[in-house]
Amino acid sequence: MKKFIAFGFMFIALAGLVPTARAKGDDFDAVVKLIEQFYQVKHKGIPFLARAGIKTTTTVARIAGGPRRQLAEAGSVKVAYFEDQDFKTSGSFTGFKASIGAALAESWSPFIQVASPKDAEQTYIYLRDAGEKFNVLIVNIEPREASVVQVNLSPQVLAKLLHDPDEMGKAITIDATNDE
Amino acid sequence: MKSLSQTLLKLALLKLTLFAVLVALGAAGNASAQNPRIQTSQLDALAAKASQTVDVNIDERLMQLAAKFLSSKDDDEAKVKEIVNGLKGIYVKSFEFENEGQYTESDLEGIRSQLRNTAWNRIVNVSSKKEGSVEVYLMQVGNQISGLAVLASDPKEITVVNIIGPVDLEKLTQLEGQFGIPDLDLEQRPKLKPKRKN
Repeated sequence: MKKFIAFGFMFIALAGLVPTARAKGDDFDAVVKLIEQFYQVKHKGIPFLARAGIKTTTTVARIAGGPRRQLAEAGSVKVAYFEDQDFKTSGSFTGFKASIGAALAESWSPFIQVASPKDAEQTYIYLRDAGEKFNVLIVNIEPREASVVQVNLSPQVLAKLLHDPDEMGKAITIDATNDE
Repeated sequence: MKSLSQTLLKLALLKLTLFAVLVALGAAGNASAQNPRIQTSQLDALAAKASQTVDVNIDERLMQLAAKFLSSKDDDEAKVKEIVNGLKGIYVKSFEFENEGQYTESDLEGIRSQLRNTAWNRIVNVSSKKEGSVEVYLMQVGNQISGLAVLASDPKEITVVNIIGPVDLEKLTQLEGQFGIPDLDLEQRPKLKPKRKN
């Protein structure tokens, strides 16, 4: 009986841990899916993702040799890009803000949220502790395109982002989504 | 006889419990009265009417991180590092509207009512039809400044800045344009004179 109870506790502990771990790892995908569902759009498929993978590598390499060396040192980059689609007509931005907030509430902290309904532009930057580094999730939505970027930043780079969120947020997004 | 003593004992215990609850409530009330973090969620309903909204949240941990990791070698960063050292949070909420009349004074009342608390002192109150109004409040606990709040509004804009920690007007003007704090043009306002509340 005691063994059964012990197994029971172990099962409960594992059952409690697994979803948390999975949710943490899947938040990037969850946000991409949320954008797809909310705006009835699709992010680019496998060929683009492959390109994005290469692009990410080259971007990181380019940054490594360039003035934003610190970003490359920061580590992994995840990018999802929505090109030439309509983000203007469906859904209200307050509804989207609430949805993204709910999706990330468990393990991310909202750092900055900017919305210009008139220009159909929204930017969200969320932060999450990742041991010695920090995960930064940047969601940028414009009338015809959107991007979701997740990067791993060192505390030094995060400090710069906190100091100048506008400039650094743009720099991270541009570097991660730039085709060249 | 026994039942009377039991009743008296119960009554005494009840009084003691009631006293403990009242003390606890008083302490909690006092703690919240001296909490420099102001609640701004009541303004969120204005987002639907605004042409731009900005929401910045930098909590104590992020603030410490900025203070620790900004470079001491870079002149600009070293200056900022010194200013933010000891701060426990920066929170900004702002709304811009396309037209006038999108918000009323009652929308701001939820913020002002918190700042009417005796722990807050209004040190600046500038109001003009052309430039709108700027109110700056400081919370002081003993000799220590524990927070600052700015409520800036004009017919087409509302901005609330809440800085937690030892901060003064000079620090605030130095932080304008950084950490998501908008440019409030505090130095440019000719009529900006410190004023005590009441």
